[in-house]
Amino acid sequence: MNSCIELSDKLIESTIEIFTGMVMMEISVAPGPMPKLGPLRKSITGMVGLAGIHKGVLAVHFPYQVATAVTSNFLGMEVEEINDDVQDAIGEIANMLGGNLKTILSDRGKDIQLSLPSTIYGDEYSLASQADVDQIILPFQTPVGIFYVEVELER
Amino acid sequence: MAKNVLLVDDSSTMRKIISRSLRQAGLDFGEIYEAGDGQEALVMLEKESIDIVLSDINMPNMNGIEFLREKANRPAIKDIPVFMISTETGEDIIGEAKSLGAIGALKKPFTPDKVNEVLGPFI
Repeated sequence: MNSCIELSDKLIESTIEIFTGMVMMEISVAPGPMPKLGPLRKSITGMVGLAGIHKGVLAVHFPYQVATAVTSNFLGMEVEEINDDVQDAIGEIANMLGGNLKTILSDRGKDIQLSLPSTIYGDEYSLASQADVDQIILPFQTPVGIFYVEVELER
Repeated sequence: MAKNVLLVDDSSTMRKIISRSLRQAGLDFGEIYEAGDGQEALVMLEKESIDIVLSDINMPNMNGIEFLREKANRPAIKDIPVFMISTETGEDIIGEAKSLGAIGALKKPFTPDKVNEVLGPFI
């Protein structure tokens, strides 16, 4: 692939499919230009790495209140704080999106390997890439706030 | 007779979602057992009366492909059918799973309707 626009369009489609089909939450792309992410505050990030013919990372960044609302919807039970369920749910969203990204980048699938998902959270943190990368950041509006899907692929 | 199901996924969230989707799909199944990876699944299969396995591929310790390979070497459990439920749905990896005995695959994300359509004939 593939232009960044085409990749963005497919990631938007995948993200909306995951949220409407499994999280049972209506979301839309937040309007405006592609945002720049500064330090993330009171947020949780789920990540999966890609290796093989495409190397990079897919990350989803959720402010706490969005993460707990998403997890509550996902599990069908009330969740009020960042706990193991929230970490697992956000990791799984990253995992599903990573799987879709893998399919978008390579039909056959075996020439890209996906890492297991990991999560980090905290009052303030930043993520930095060492490599020369193409970056896509997509903001999504939920009923309780905005979350971001970020993809970085080595050039 | 309702079939007992083993869900194999390292994500407890996903095990809950699959379990809920099976109920929402209106499928008639018996007990639902859970395992967090292939190793736990092998232990569970040898201990419990399980009729069908729904397994992820991308898991720590023993992934879904390794699980299929190991299960095929154990005569007592080798004929229990396994259905893959995974984000990994590239034709190569699903082809490998099927060559090791998997009877089908369902892509994450999925809806209860899709679960009913794909898994209904097997449960």
